[in-house]
Amino acid sequence: MKLYKIVAKDMLRRKRRVLYAALGVVIGTMTVVGILTIASAGEAKIYKQLEQYGPNLTVIPAINNLDMKLGNLSMGTLTVGENYIPEDQLPKIRQIADSKIREALKITDEGDIATIAPKLFANTKVNGVSLVVVGVDPQQERIVKSWWEVGKGTYLDGTDQALVGAIAADLLKLNVGDTVPLNESSVKVTGILKETGASDDYQIFAPLATVQKAFNKEDVISSLDIRALCNACPVEMIADSINQNIPGVRAIAVKQIAQSEMGLVEKMNSLMFALAGITLMVGLFGVVNTMMSSVHERTKDIGIMRAVGASRKQIIKIFIFEAVVIGIIGGIAGYLLGTALAYLIGPLVFEGTAVYFVPQYFPVALIVSITVAVLAAVYPAIKAAEIRVADSFRSV
Amino acid sequence: MLEVKNASKIYGEGLARVVALDNVSLEVEIGNFIAVMGPSGSGKSTLLNIIGGLDQLSSGEVILDGNRIDGYDENALVEIRRGKIAYVFQQYHLMSSLTALENVLMPLIFAGDGKNEKDALDILKRVGLEKRANHKPCQLSGGEQQRVAIARTLVTSPSLILADEPTGNMDQKTGNEILELFKELNEEGRSIVMVTHSPDIAKHAKEIVNLQDGQIVDRTRHFHIEVPRQICRC
Repeated sequence: MKLYKIVAKDMLRRKRRVLYAALGVVIGTMTVVGILTIASAGEAKIYKQLEQYGPNLTVIPAINNLDMKLGNLSMGTLTVGENYIPEDQLPKIRQIADSKIREALKITDEGDIATIAPKLFANTKVNGVSLVVVGVDPQQERIVKSWWEVGKGTYLDGTDQALVGAIAADLLKLNVGDTVPLNESSVKVTGILKETGASDDYQIFAPLATVQKAFNKEDVISSLDIRALCNACPVEMIADSINQNIPGVRAIAVKQIAQSEMGLVEKMNSLMFALAGITLMVGLFGVVNTMMSSVHERTKDIGIMRAVGASRKQIIKIFIFEAVVIGIIGGIAGYLLGTALAYLIGPLVFEGTAVYFVPQYFPVALIVSITVAVLAAVYPAIKAAEIRVADSFRSV
Repeated sequence: MLEVKNASKIYGEGLARVVALDNVSLEVEIGNFIAVMGPSGSGKSTLLNIIGGLDQLSSGEVILDGNRIDGYDENALVEIRRGKIAYVFQQYHLMSSLTALENVLMPLIFAGDGKNEKDALDILKRVGLEKRANHKPCQLSGGEQQRVAIARTLVTSPSLILADEPTGNMDQKTGNEILELFKELNEEGRSIVMVTHSPDIAKHAKEIVNLQDGQIVDRTRHFHIEVPRQICRC
């Protein structure tokens, strides 16, 4: 029979005391796991929201007077001059974007990764009102503008069709089936967008080729949006590379929104971790306390063990072993309770967020819990080892 | 085998100064059974604690098998407790959470030597408790608990057993049974030093030492107790 076996048996018989000692560790670990789980759910939610903010990059002709700070959102109010991007640059831009993403994410599979949505802006008059017609790649545009909803009619699915922004449709009294003149030719309204709050509301969208043909701008585009479809994508590197390798264009990383949102997440995470740290400290002192009272309670037992041949090291070993067991109990219970806690309050913290348990946090919980328990046991164990046999019996 | 030379033990200082032992010298020969008697506060328990290294001397020497052990550090004392000297206490001092067998096993576990449960069971049998091996102390009578405590000392085969009022919590009949056990162990060649305040119990010993105010006032050898019938049966 080994020392540990006897300690384990002894602990089994003192179940309640042991569980009480584990409580501090359980609460600390529970908080850490709960916070980690909620934070990961929140992060996932914000990343998902970020994806909806649209393109990560905008590429425009190098020579023009667009106000860069407004990014692509102000494009609708600006008249694009003589400067265009040749359409044959598109494959090159795509190649740069895809290769940078592959590098960053270490993926090797072929095929398109980034979404690249080219645009051609033109002016037209409908019912005497001047407005912007945007030639787009219907599929790519839909991915970039994932918040678009077709209110009436259907989305673009063929040539000579038009999708009208909500306010434009309202002002021009356009309806599904109406015709919109584009220079010499015309397109038929196939759908009307719901209001988006952006400049899209004032614009008309038609297939790129149709607009190019109508305005004699074949083989050119005004700008293009790139969406990397990942959160860790190196948008700035893609922008740098495009600026260096493709003459006549200017690539801008649209990061403002992403940066401020992520900054918020990071701040919240550090606040939560500080909270978890404090809870762990409190838990640690709780365990020190319980262990100290356990040492006092067991002064006689420790004296007996010393009297029958236990060395100081063995007494310390006994307490550290107990701490490890307490740590394991605390880790398992803390992980389960912490996950439950996240399921309970996660949706309150991040409104309507689905919380998922994270198996990777189980070893984290175990390590945190055992570390805290062992740290907490060091001082009581040393105190226990200092107990002298004669004193221990005198106090009984 | 063990000698105490000019041992003094003083507790406290100034007005609170208590002289528990005052220049006591005592020799414990191999195979002797000494009863240390005296009123409470006479220093008999202190003497026992000092012999066993449970307490430090203020001055004097304790020599075990030719080595001074009074200055031993904790690690060296642990070695002595693991084989040479074992204790039996008035309150038995069993681990209440462990069974009789586990209590007997404890010294073996700490010493880490090759002995196992079978040896511990044999020793429980020796004190007549093999059927109680899996009982916890609270399920045992006082006499049985003391037998477990004695078994626990025997498991490391000590040459010297120190007993502090071992029958103090028992009725006379049970006490006598324990004393008979001590006598058997003594006849096997183990030295025993037993503290008691009762002359009835002391008379079972081969030698009676009387302590008063920390000094030995009287030493009597009881030669009517016969010479060991057999030496070392185990």
